[in-house]
This record gives sequence, structure tokens and C-alpha cells, in this order.
Amino acid sequence: MSKENKSIQDKITELSQLVSWFDSDDFKLETAIDKFKEAETLAETIEKDLKALKNDIQIVKQKFDSEG
Amino acid sequence: MENVRLTVSDFIAVTNQTLEYAYPSVEVEGEVSSFKVNQGKFVFFDIKDAGGSVGCFMTVWQLRVPIEDGMKVIVTATPKLTQWGKFSLTVKAVRPSGEGAIKKSFEILKAKLETEGIFDEGRKRTLPTIPTYVAVISSTQAAGYADFIKILDDRWGGLKVDVAHVQVQGIDAPDQMIRALNYLNGREELPEVIVIIRGGGSADDLSAFNDEELVRAIAASRVPTLVGVGHEVDESLADLAADVRASTPSNAAQILVPDRYEIIRAVRYQVRSLLPRVENAIEQQSQLVRTSLADMLTRTDEHIDHELERLSGIQNVLAQLNPRTVLARGYALVRGVAKVGQVIEVETNQTIIKAEVQHVERK
Repeated sequence: MSKENKSIQDKITELSQLVSWFDSDDFKLETAIDKFKEAETLAETIEKDLKALKNDIQIVKQKFDSEG
Repeated sequence: MENVRLTVSDFIAVTNQTLEYAYPSVEVEGEVSSFKVNQGKFVFFDIKDAGGSVGCFMTVWQLRVPIEDGMKVIVTATPKLTQWGKFSLTVKAVRPSGEGAIKKSFEILKAKLETEGIFDEGRKRTLPTIPTYVAVISSTQAAGYADFIKILDDRWGGLKVDVAHVQVQGIDAPDQMIRALNYLNGREELPEVIVIIRGGGSADDLSAFNDEELVRAIAASRVPTLVGVGHEVDESLADLAADVRASTPSNAAQILVPDRYEIIRAVRYQVRSLLPRVENAIEQQSQLVRTSLADMLTRTDEHIDHELERLSGIQNVLAQLNPRTVLARGYALVRGVAKVGQVIEVETNQTIIKAEVQHVERK
């Protein structure tokens, strides 16, 4: 997994954990707004990162038209 | 060459040289007859049509698709005069010709490989959900390859993609694909998936993907394989041997990576779904506060009522003790000294009377 991709995966996991917090017993109204803002910012970052990702396509130099 | 005298061996050698010069490789189409395999190594058959017949020779290793008598085939061969003076075709490759023969050959090989368990579902491995390093075996000039790359780039990014450029049709295609498979499977850094793709074509164009050795190489790959060949209706043995089968090259890209826009939509939905939860929590808390307040008020009212009731009781007792109440009942209040000759005051409900004490005695 590339660094950039890994970080997107991490961010998606982090967002899922944030979302789960809202359904958990740890939920507190006092901190809910801050958590919501955090989730909103994280979602925007994920979207930006995903749109910016480019594939690195290379043609291998090896020839396959004959043995060896 | 007129009047040239040659030994038999030289004549054979010159003839073969001439044949090789004239027909370094020739494709001959005809019907197979007298097919036989000797010592498990050497394949002999005749290829014929209505006007003639010619003998063919090849090794079993060169026979990559099953053939049988009566099947129409195309042989790629070099004509040769043997040392016994027999003319034959030394066959490099043979492939079925025509829809019926291709189908027949396909079914024979499919049945054989099925018996060996090459296509068993239990052998299939799953592909990583989001791979980061994949290898592609295809012709970079093929339309199917362009479709695959376009869909791949649209859907996802950050992938390392190594492309092994090979022929995907023709006599050399299976061996090239096998070499590419071996090369990719032997690399120090293994790709997470090997994708083999080719766009649509005729049954003959796609026949490379029914090559027995290629099918076996796909099934034996250390790296999980994803094969997308032809159109949705096409089925190749390479498809069946792959860990995952895609109906087309575009479908292979769809299977390989998630759609980034679907993820963006899902992420947006996740965040949007939080607001109602917060609003709901606020409403629940407000409701709790409202209920508590109402409860407090009810209890206060009850307490006040209780105290008022108690006060009322005391007031009643006090009212009974009021001297005026006693006077109203007909009693009188006497003030003064109870001594003969003294003037005392007698208060009734309505009057106050002054009176002189005339007689005092103890009860």
C-alpha cells in the first residue's frame, strides 16, 4: 500500500470510528459538536485526497516474445 | 539444376533447403484423420480435404489444444522430406478451425481440466479489497487494454501498475503470456494481483485463452489472477482457471478497485447522518430537562398543598380556642378580684357588665 493510499485508508477508518462514537455509550452532547466538526473536516480531506490520487503505470522492460 | 547428380542424402537436404526457403512457415487447413500418439511423445496425423491428404508430425508438447479425427484444423508447419523419402509437415502449432471444431476442442479440454480440478471453486483465492500493486498482462495496443486503464484511472488512484506487453492473439500469444506470468510470479516484489485482459474478437482470435499450457499456468500462479477476456458472452478456459473472472476488460477494472466517487458519496452520507443524531440527542436532553422541571413543579405544589392543609388544621384548633368563640357559645368572661364588695367585670358575647361581689365561697 502506498503512503498516500495508506493515509486515505487510515482516514476512512478514523472517520468510521468517529461515526461509531455517536452511537456508542461514550457519546456526550458537550463534545458532539466538536466531534461532528472533526468528522466534517476529515470527510473533506478524504474527498480531496481521493480526487487527487493518480495511478503509476509502467510498461515492464522485459520482452516476452522469446525464451530468456 | 539440370543434369546435376546428387547423392540421395544431398537430394533430400537440397529439397528441404528449397522447401524451407519457399515455405519457412505455412498454414494449412484441413480435416484431421488417422490421429495417433506414439510412445506418449510423438503425434502423427493426416490433414486432408476432398482433393488430397498430407501427413503431419509434431510432439505432444506442441499440441496445446485437443484434436481428434474429423476435426477441422489449421496447422502451422514447415514442409519436410524425411530421410525415408516421405513428405510430411513438421507441425509447430495446431488450432481448431471453424466454430464447430473450436467448440469441440474447447469442450474436450474443459472436461479434461475439470476432472483434474483446475476450475474447482475451492482453489479460488479472493483479491485484496484495495490493492496497491498490480500487474497487467495484455497488449498495450489492444482496445481492451485502453478500456481497462481508462476505467482504472477513473475509479481509483495511487496504484502501482506494471504492464507486461504481450501478443494476445495468434500462435505466439499463449507462450508470451506464460512467460509474462512466470516473470511476474518470479519477481522479488510480487504484485498483489495479476490481471490478464483482452478485448472482444472472433472465436479464433480468442483461442489463445483456451491454450492448455496457459490455462495451467494461470491456475498455478502464486499471485491471484483476474482474467477478463472478450465480451460478456465469451467464455474461455483462462477465465475458468482464474481466481476471479471478469466479463470484459472494463469489468476487470471494476472488480479490481473500488470507485472513488462511491467512497466520496459514502463518506458524505456518513457525515450527513451525524447531524440528525446530534439533534436527536439535544431533543432527548431537552425533553429530560422539561420532564425534570415539570416533576419539580408537581412536587412543590404537592408540598405546598400539604402545608396549607396542615395550616388549615392549626387554624381550626386556634379558632376553637379563641375566647370570642367561647363567648359566642354563651359563656362569660369575668375579670376582677373575687372578694366580697369588690366590683368585677363580666363580659358576654354581646355585653360588658359591672357587678359587685356579694358572696364568695370555695367549691
